[in-house]
Parts: sequence; structure tokens; C-alpha cells
Amino acid sequence: MNGAGAGPFVRFENLTRTYRQGACRRPVLDKLHGEIRRGESVALLGRSGCGKSTLLNLAGGIDEPDSGSIFIDGVCITGMDEHARTLFRRRNIGFIYQFFNLVPTLTVEENLLLPLELNGWSPAKGRRRCRELLAAVDLSDRAGAFPDQLSGGEQQRVAVARALVHGPALVLADEPTGNLDADNGRQVLELLDRLVRDGQCTLLLVTHSRAVASRADRILTLTRGRLSGVEEGALW
Amino acid sequence: MKTLLWRASLRYLGRHPWQTGLSMLGIALGVAVVVAVELANESARRAFDLSMQAVTGRASHQIIGGPAGLEESLYARLRRQGAAPLSAPVVSGHVTHGDYSLRLLGIDPFAERRFRNFLGYAPDGQGEGLLRQLLTRPGAVLMSRTLASRLGLRVGGSLELLVSGRKRQAVLAGVLHPPPQKAAAMTDLLVADIATAQELLGRLGRLSRIDLILPEGDRAAAGAVEALLPAGARLTPAAARARAMQEMTRAFAVNLSAMSLLALLVGMFLIYNTMSFSVLQRRELLGTLRVLGAGRRDILALVLGEGLLIGAAGTALGLLLGVLLAQELVQLVTRTINDLYFTLGVSGLFPTPAGLARGALLGVGGTLLAVLAPASEAACSPPRAVLDRSRIEGRAGRLIPSLAGAGAGCILVALLLLLPGRSLVLGFVALFGLILGFSLLTPAAVALASRLAAPLLGSLLGVFGRMAVRGVRASLSRTGVAIAALSIALSATVGVGVMVGSFRLSVQQWLEATLRADIYVSPVTPSNTGNEASLDPALIAAIRSVPGIAGISQGRPANVQSGEGITHLYAIRMARGSYAGVELLEGRPGTVWPLFDREQAVLVSEPYAYRHGLHAGDSLTLDTDRGRREFRVAGVFRDYGADHGVVNMRMSLYRQYWDDDSVYSLGLYLEPGVDADTMVEQLYALAGDRQALRIRSNRTLRESSMETFDRTFAITNVLRLLVIAVAFVGILSALMALQLEKARELAVLRATGFTPGQIWGLVTTQTGFMGLLAGLLAIPLGLMLAMLLIHVINWRAFGWSMDVILPGGVLAEALLLALAAALLAGLYPAWRMARTPPALALRQE
Repeated sequence: MNGAGAGPFVRFENLTRTYRQGACRRPVLDKLHGEIRRGESVALLGRSGCGKSTLLNLAGGIDEPDSGSIFIDGVCITGMDEHARTLFRRRNIGFIYQFFNLVPTLTVEENLLLPLELNGWSPAKGRRRCRELLAAVDLSDRAGAFPDQLSGGEQQRVAVARALVHGPALVLADEPTGNLDADNGRQVLELLDRLVRDGQCTLLLVTHSRAVASRADRILTLTRGRLSGVEEGALW
Repeated sequence: MKTLLWRASLRYLGRHPWQTGLSMLGIALGVAVVVAVELANESARRAFDLSMQAVTGRASHQIIGGPAGLEESLYARLRRQGAAPLSAPVVSGHVTHGDYSLRLLGIDPFAERRFRNFLGYAPDGQGEGLLRQLLTRPGAVLMSRTLASRLGLRVGGSLELLVSGRKRQAVLAGVLHPPPQKAAAMTDLLVADIATAQELLGRLGRLSRIDLILPEGDRAAAGAVEALLPAGARLTPAAARARAMQEMTRAFAVNLSAMSLLALLVGMFLIYNTMSFSVLQRRELLGTLRVLGAGRRDILALVLGEGLLIGAAGTALGLLLGVLLAQELVQLVTRTINDLYFTLGVSGLFPTPAGLARGALLGVGGTLLAVLAPASEAACSPPRAVLDRSRIEGRAGRLIPSLAGAGAGCILVALLLLLPGRSLVLGFVALFGLILGFSLLTPAAVALASRLAAPLLGSLLGVFGRMAVRGVRASLSRTGVAIAALSIALSATVGVGVMVGSFRLSVQQWLEATLRADIYVSPVTPSNTGNEASLDPALIAAIRSVPGIAGISQGRPANVQSGEGITHLYAIRMARGSYAGVELLEGRPGTVWPLFDREQAVLVSEPYAYRHGLHAGDSLTLDTDRGRREFRVAGVFRDYGADHGVVNMRMSLYRQYWDDDSVYSLGLYLEPGVDADTMVEQLYALAGDRQALRIRSNRTLRESSMETFDRTFAITNVLRLLVIAVAFVGILSALMALQLEKARELAVLRATGFTPGQIWGLVTTQTGFMGLLAGLLAIPLGLMLAMLLIHVINWRAFGWSMDVILPGGVLAEALLLALAAALLAGLYPAWRMARTPPALALRQE
């Protein structure tokens, strides 16, 4: 990332995405505009099916818009080919999902090592970084466990650590507490908040819970394919 | 590849031991079949080379004559004139000792050293003694110590030989100690002085051939030899003769190889199926890896690496199994060659690094080829699509018309490929094109069948029936491939089964029509050596005078030279009843028989006509003892006796052109009311000790001919069973994977209130439906394959035409097999789901 500070960190320009439904196409994002500042935590609110996850996937470069552009730190990712987008994502973006999506055949530590290995970290340096992150998510004693040996809350903490382990500039979280009980959900949100701020990352969090959204610096609401409302968050 | 990705992949394989193991087994069986056939073919080829080498030695050329061989004086004339300073006379023939068929090679020990030098293998210091024994002791023969120990003989001991049914006494004068590479070729060889061999074989004054070493490329030397040759004798390069012999078995070898490739093709389909499953099962994981930043190349390398690993392990196991299987197959191949072509004494397995390497390359290469599609599918899909299951099925659904179009195109191209020419390889390309085209049509057929069957099964089984069928339609990306793989494997068994069944029935009908005589008489000889044997003329005269015999036909097989190599000639004196037994395919009886009986005309068998492009009215050139002569083709007749074809000539015409008045077989037509079995006993008593005869009634000969046919196709049946085994393993693995993948869906049903029994019913209904569908789809493809095998492959390989006859058992067998594999495949997932608490299954997912 170039580290330019003045302009918006993430910018959506005229973004359109439609899905095929039988013979006709249904627009999900319709000429959407929006901006996120560097280091800002933004919650994206909206009803189910309104396009929140689609916007998140587009921002992460794992989906392509029909038209429009996405700039991340001044770089237009929608103009990149698949290979360049993969390399950009590998270096700059961390993902967290509702259903954890850990690699079931790798241990907790190996799940964290994976993004580092993909980014060409040396094993020794990678292991040191993993230890730091595991300590930060309070799972140092579970480094050798496989995902199916962990509780849901533990799995999501590993997922948070994995999303942040390589020091991404942008973290994208899709309903990260949607599959957790209240206590575990709160723990994960606090952890995410702390690590994002410590790492000086920008966070875009998709949720349908106003309580979760209220922790962000700012709340964007997605209705009818457009960002219709902008609120300042309370406590995040 | 990244270490962790590789580790994750390895652990995935380790966590699915059934799936991984069955994939490996599928590949292993496919490779084993190919390797075994390759090794068996190669071993037979090598055995032939060794045998030829042993008897040809370093000869560059051979002088050969007609069926009766050469005058001994020719050799003396050649030496006297100095035309061939390096030459050696040879007398060779087949003899039997007990149950063993042996080759007797008569040589001139003095002329021999530059050619074969058998005496060089004498134990230290015994060479001179053995030479003396060979020259002076009546009936003296030498053999390798391996053969002596196999026959249980000691030096100095006598051995009784049966030559053309006549008993002869020989003496084991000494044993030879050939080096290991020569020993294999001498496991059926008796070496004698030329005079002894002539006496034992009853060919006094005659030579089988004269071996020569001529300077390479020296046309003048060859010309000088040819100038001295009498009519009927011919100078030929030694290698050309060996090639001509080996060419006879080419179609047989190509057919076996194609059959084994079919097993590998089925194996490849199953590998493709398994790897597709493996990719689909991990779509979320692969999507996650892509989201984390794994590139397309990483994913491609991951899936290809897995394929390579499974392929390499399966191939290694396949090579091992292949060598074991080849030990059995080589016996079957050798036996078939002995039955159909020529006597091959050596039957050992000669595994060569090249043969094994080819098998390994096919196994690993085939696996990679099969994995390429799922690997690129996984690598090329955008990360979002990899995560999205419905998108995969949606795309599979949208692909159906294109796939069906491509399939129809493939079938059309395959059919167009069949139109021109006689190329056997093109025939096989068309066959494989047909299979590919059909497999591409399968998803459309499955979608249609599911739509049609849903209401039917719904009315029969209620919600279970509808769910089962809709599940097949909803998972078309996997069920389509699994059903295609199963139906292709089954169609191969149907195709080959119908072909063999049709062939068998055709041969049976042909035998019934052709074998008109009541009793057949011939001397006891090793198979395919009838041209060396003859009936005692005094015995023939005695048989003629036996009361109760109304007519006698006489036959004499002979190998003669023609422009294109060796022609198998059958000289025949037909009895009145014989004519009706010949089914003419070209030419009308009214014109054919007068020509055959009175003119310089012959009848050619269907395979001979096909191979040489002959039709009734054409002419055929043969080298006779009177020189090269043309014979008119009076007609073409049906004959399943020999795939290299045969030329029938009336006995009087044969004797006019060849100095050979021997008779090999008799067909006896009995007077009405004479019992054939009684006559057989009477004839045996008549022959007594004069000559060992094979006297068979019409029924016995037909039965023994069918036994030979069944022996010939034993190897095809073995291969067919192996294809079935490969298919069975693959289907088991595919359907099992499909059901295990549905663990979550089934757990939800369990949580909803389905009992374990109901889950079992649902799973088996679904796998049963898929099995039935595969079985039904296999029938039309199998019948098309059968038509292609019969009308194209068989015709191009052997020149045999026959009708397609539908044996009901083969079709029922395919359906039953499909259902059994499918139901069996459902057992384990049903059992596992019934035992696993739903919550655990949901959590595991």
C-alpha cells in the first residue's frame, strides 16, 4: 500500500452488480457510491439479501462488478486481472466469515501460518508472528489443535487472528458474530476492535445487528442497492 | 507448491481413506490390466524372437522350398559351386514326448559353428565327445539341462518321440549348458545331426531349409545363389520370414492392447470422477484458500499434485499387480497363439523396463489427464464461485445443452471416421470417440430421466421417491459423471459380451454347417503343425476298405510362399457330401464348383480375401515347385478357422504343382445306419500301433473346436472381468463419496425426524435409481459398441463377418451389476449416517 493519507482509503464509484434469476437479472448494487477513510471502522447495515455481502466480496476482489470501480488506497482493483487481484488480496486484505472457514486439515497455528507462507514469510519469522497473535486471541495453548476440536467462539478467534496475522491494511468481516452466542460474540468484537486498532487497519464489517454496528466509527446503510444513510457510530 | 497447502491436501487424503484407497485401487487395476497385457504380448513376442534366434542363429538369408522342403542335393550343389561358402543345411519339425511338444532341429555340426554353435554350450571338455556321439550314435539328440530335468531324463537314457503319430526312439547323448539368455529359447529344443533328424522325422533326402550368411547388401552374392535354385525354391532374408510369422499375430495383439486400454479408459473416467468429487467436496475450502490469497496456479498445483500422488501410488501398486497378472495372462496368450497361429514353446514372462515404464507412464499420465479438468475447474473459477455451491449446479445445468451438442458431435465424428478405409487404429479411435460422445450425452439423459421418473417414484414411494430422484437431478455435476462412468464401464462389458456371444454362436453355426463328415481322422501332432504331418498311406488304404464308409474326403494343409509372404493352403479332395458344407460368400455354386473341380482355380476364405483384397474372378499368385503360377479365385467362402486366412485348392491341382502326395486328414461319410462311435473304435483298432491317430466323431470334433474357441476368448473374458472389477471399484467409490457428501443434508433429515431405516431407504433408493439409470443407459451404448466391434473392429482385424446376436444374459448381467454396485455403494453411507448422531454430523460439516 502506498500509505497516501489525504484521500479516502476505500472508494466505490458507480458500482453495479446484478444476479441472474431464471431468465431475468436482479440488480443488487445499483450505481453505488461510497468512501471509507484510512483507519476507519465502518459497519454496513441492511436487510438480508440487500447486497451487503456482495459489496464486501467486491471490496475484497473475490467477485467482480458488472460496472463501476473500486479503489483501495488509490489502486483500482476492478481494473486488475485475476492474478493481480489475488496478489493484492493476499498482501492487503484479511477476511473474516460468519462460518469461520478455517482449513479443517491444518492446525490452529498452521491456519495462521498459511497467509504468511503465501506472502513469503520465513517459517521462523512466521511462527514468531503466530505466537504473538495466538497470545493476543488467548489461544496459545490450542496451537496444535485442529479446527473441529475447538468451540465456535475459539474458531472465530482463530479466524480473526488469521485475518490479521499478515498485517493487512483492510479487514473485511462478514457477520463475524452471526454464528456465536452473546458472550462469545462480544469477546470476538472486542478482540477485533483491539487488533484492528493496534494494527492500524481499516475495517468494513457487515452485520444486520444495529447493536454490533453501533460499535463502529461510522454506519452505512444499504437499501435498494445504494448506500442510503450515513450515521456516526457511538462507542467503537 | 506452498508447504502448508500441500500438508492440508495430504491430510485431506488421509482423512478420506476410503475414497483415496478406492481411487488408488481403481487406477491400480486399470494399470495392472494394461501392464499385464503389455507384458504378456511382449513376452510372447520375445519368446517368438528367442525361438527364432535359437533356430535361425546368425543366418542372414534362408533358402526355403515348398511344403515338401528342399532336395538335399541342392546344398551339395551350392557348396560345390562356391555360391554360398557360409551355409548350413537344416531339418526341423515338431515332435511330442508324453505331454510335451518339442522342436527337433537337425544340423550339420561341421557347417554349423558360424550359425548357432550348439556344441559351444557343451560342458567343459565334452564338446568333442558330444560331436562324436551326434555323428555316430543312432537317434542321438542333445538338449539343454533345463529341458532334460523337466523331462526327467539322464544322459544315455532313451526317449520315445511321437512324430506325425509314429513312434520313434531317440537317445539323450548329452546335455548342453547354454548361458541364461539362450536357455529360455532352448526349453523345447532337441538338437540332432541332420541324418538323425531326417530319419526321426521321416524326411530322408530332404531339407527344411538352408541357412546362409551373405555379405550385407551384396546383391551379386544373392543373385549367384538364386541362379542355382530350382523352381519352387526361394532365397529370402531370415528376418523377413520371422516378420511374416509375427505379422500373423499382430491383430490379436492389437485387440488385446485395445481391450486393456478400455480398462484404463474406464479407470481414467473413475479417476476423473473421484477427483471431481474431491474438488467439489472441498469447494468451500478451496474458496477460502483463494480468498486468503492462494493463486490459481497454487490451486491447480494442489489438485494436480493430489492426482499425481494418487496416480503414482495407484500406478506402483498396478505395476506390481500387473506383473503378477501377467504371469497368468502370458500362459493364456501363448496358448491362444499355439491354438491359432504357430507353436510357441517358450511361455515365460520377460518383464522389460520399457514395458513397465510404458505402463507407469500410462497410469500417471492417464491420471493427470483425468485430473486436469477438475483441477482447472477449481483453479479457474473465481473465489466467490468456488464458495458458491448453487452456482456450480446452476452452471452444470446450463452446460447440459452444450455438453449434449458436443457429445452428438463426437458421435458423428466417430461415425464419419468409420466410413473410409480399413485402418484398425482408426476403428479404435472411433470406438473411443463413441464412448466419449455418449458420456457427454449422459448428463442430459440423467436430467431427462430424473424429470420423468420423479412422478413415478413419487407415486410409488411417496416423498422418499421424489426426494431421491430430485437429489440426483440437483447434484447433476456429480451424479452425471458417476452415472456416465458406470454406464461406460457396463457398456464395455455389454459390447464385448455381445461380440463374444455373437462370435461364438456364429462359429457354432458355421461348424454345424461345415463339418459334414461323420468321422475325422488325423495323426496325433502338436496343434498348428498339421503341415508337417501325414497319414500312413497303407493305413489310408486300409481305412478305404472298411465296410460302412460311403465316401472319404482328404485334406492336406501346407504353407506355401506367395507374393505377400506365407499363404496357408489347404489341398482337399472333396467327397460328394462336402460341397454343401461350404458357405459361399462370393460366387454362385453353379459356377464356383465346376471351376474349382476342373480349372486352375481356388477358393479363398473370407479373411484371406479381405487381407489380400481379392474377389471372385481375381487371380492369385503362388510359388509352386514348378515356379510362380497364377490361380483364379473361383469364390470366397466363410471360414472362422484361421484369421490369417486360407486358400482351398483341389488335391489334384495341388499335386500337379507341388511334389507332395501326403494326406493329413480324412473325413469319413458313413453309410446310413452305421454307428459313428462303433466305427471310431473299429478304426482305432485298425490303426493299432502303426500310427497314433486322432479319430473324432463329428460331435466330438465340434465340441473340441468350441473348446478351442472358448480357450481363445478366455483372455478376452478375463479382461472383461477386470474391466468390470475396475468399474465396480470406481462406482463404489463415486457413489459412496456422493452420499457421504450429503452427510449434512441427511443429518438435517435425521434431526427433522427421519429414522435410521428411512435414511437407509432414501440413500439406497437414490443409489439404486442411479444404478438402474446407468444400467439402462449402458445397454444402447453397449449394443452400439458391439456393432462396432463386430462390423468394424473384427472385420478390420481379422476379416470375419458375422451377425449380431443378442444374448439376453449379457444385458441382464449389466443391469444386475449396476444395481448391485449402486446398492452396495449406498450401504456404508447409510450405515454411517444411521449410527452418527445428527448433531455431530451437522457440526462436522
